Amino acid sequence: MNIAMFALRNAGRNKLRSAVTVGAMGLAGGIMILYGSLMDGVMTTMIRNVVDMEVGDIQIHRKGYRDDMDFYKSAPDTEGLARKLEAQGFYASPRLFGYGLSAAGSASSGVFLKGIDVGREKMVSKLHNHLLSGSWLDSRDMKGVVIGKKLARTLGVAVGGEIVVVSQAGDGSMANDLYIVRGVLKSVSESMDRSGVIMTDAAFRELMVFPEGAHEITLKRRDQSELLAVAAGRAVAVANGLEVKTWRELRPVIARVFDLWDVSMLFMLVITYSAITLVTFNASLMSVFERIPEFGMMKALGFTPGRVLQLVFAETLTLAVAACVVALAVGLPTAYYSQVYGIDLSHVWPGGSFGGVAFDPVWRSQITLKSTVTPLFFIFVVALLSALYPGVKAALINPVAAMRLR
Amino acid sequence: MNAISTAIALLLLTAFTAGPGLAAEKPDGTARAKEILNKVDDMWRGKSSRAILTMKVQTANYTRAMSLEGWSKGKGMSLVRVTYPLKEKGTATLKTGPVIYTYLPKTDKTIRLTSGMMSGSWMGSHLTNDDLVKESRLTEDFTAVVTFEGQRDGAYAMDFSLTPKPDSAVVWGKITMTLHVEGNDYLPVTEVFYDEELKPARTIVFMDIKTFAGRRLPAVMKVTPADKPGEFTELVYQSLDFEIPLDDSFFSISQLRRD
Repeated sequence: MNIAMFALRNAGRNKLRSAVTVGAMGLAGGIMILYGSLMDGVMTTMIRNVVDMEVGDIQIHRKGYRDDMDFYKSAPDTEGLARKLEAQGFYASPRLFGYGLSAAGSASSGVFLKGIDVGREKMVSKLHNHLLSGSWLDSRDMKGVVIGKKLARTLGVAVGGEIVVVSQAGDGSMANDLYIVRGVLKSVSESMDRSGVIMTDAAFRELMVFPEGAHEITLKRRDQSELLAVAAGRAVAVANGLEVKTWRELRPVIARVFDLWDVSMLFMLVITYSAITLVTFNASLMSVFERIPEFGMMKALGFTPGRVLQLVFAETLTLAVAACVVALAVGLPTAYYSQVYGIDLSHVWPGGSFGGVAFDPVWRSQITLKSTVTPLFFIFVVALLSALYPGVKAALINPVAAMRLR
Repeated sequence: MNAISTAIALLLLTAFTAGPGLAAEKPDGTARAKEILNKVDDMWRGKSSRAILTMKVQTANYTRAMSLEGWSKGKGMSLVRVTYPLKEKGTATLKTGPVIYTYLPKTDKTIRLTSGMMSGSWMGSHLTNDDLVKESRLTEDFTAVVTFEGQRDGAYAMDFSLTPKPDSAVVWGKITMTLHVEGNDYLPVTEVFYDEELKPARTIVFMDIKTFAGRRLPAVMKVTPADKPGEFTELVYQSLDFEIPLDDSFFSISQLRRD
């Protein structure tokens, strides 16, 4: 009989103890799969809302613009600059910004105006796929706008509704015009949700009397595997005299959270599995102590200490394999459910923002290879650590003394 | 009363009353300061008024000129309509108490300004919407004292210093004002607004004394922000009439649309 068969048989000798051990390890693994998936869901939302919806990989501004977002601190000849950047392996989209007031019926609200090149923007942002209702902008439609969902609620408008936008134009005159809401965005960021009005760049230039230049050029690397810092270096070389910042520099809080993510996940795993290690260690130790005469007999019959050690490890690993099956059986379905349907927290938390990034009250997980495999890996680590002392104890046993205990 | 109040009063023809709390109720120089400033206030005040004026705005980014016509009644009702340039002709601002409405002829819409818009520029000038609604309250929030009185540069001048009362919620840390006394007339000359760190934030200079409806008043007011050298807003009054018949219904949202 080989070691694996021995281990399998021995694991089944005390079924209740093995079941409790497998259950504890498996349940912990399952919970960690769900936890990891939920946390990956948060990270996915963060990265999507920050990089894909708003910031892009890199942004270019006129120096000083970001300090006060002065309407007149625009970068000149952004069309020419965008072409040069596109020739350097970037997708580039100039953006125009302004502030104003929007009104519909008797309701009104301060708004953040954003003018975009509809074709180019699709290459640097996924905002056009993030609509709650309606459709995205059409470059031929000068009167169509897409607005944030909280703004839509404040103004009491839906798709097809009419809003008036008022601001101070570049020439000091009172900018005002009527627009039709083509689409309402899902949650993106606090500012976009609450006050965002997106229109075509042509409509923006006409409304705000802003004939040329732009306040921002957003870049996306064509080759996403290229290092961000390397790409930023190329952008700096092209954007002479302008400020070039990566998304990590523009959103340092989010970048920091992202950097610390793996560490926090590891921390949670260590805390959770520390308790499980004690349970597994106890089970393994009891299993060895109960069979001291048996180990003595085996050694008397020619089992080497190494073979005894292998046997104890194999028994614990057998339990670990069973625990992995339980972990997958518990973790994957629950993680999948929360990925598809989400966990609705709206009755205790209506949604909000963290670091300027909006989060829905419905928390959705994201099943990833890392969130699934890491807890399973830790089950094996726990099993091996738990079996180490009992295994050595059994391996070094004196056969004669052990058999006398019978 | 202070000079920006008078300026706004003229601009929007808000015939406000100087608050009784302008000067502290103490038997010292503050009572006299209050009495004099009330006289200045009375110069601008009427049961109703009508004005025709031009506004020139010069900033680092644009220069623009507008012609305006305005009416006021009582303490809190005023209406200003743009008559030039053509692009903005018919644009009107209605103030009823603390609320401001703007009529936009291009879209034929009337909007009520939100609190977030109150700090925004009024018609691209260096005056804010907040100035339009807050000034009549300002007089209740400051204590005034006379800091100088006598001959200076060939005129009899009086300087006043207005400091916020401890419990008042105002944005200015201090206001100083200079008047010229000519016979029975107290004519504002300059007014300087200081921020909370007591650094000058903006200056208003009053010029070109003329007689409007029997009252001697400065026909020109120039607002200069301290942090934007070379920029200014200048208001020049062509005509100013007081005590004209106006119904309350004149200051209504429906009236805004009338060209």
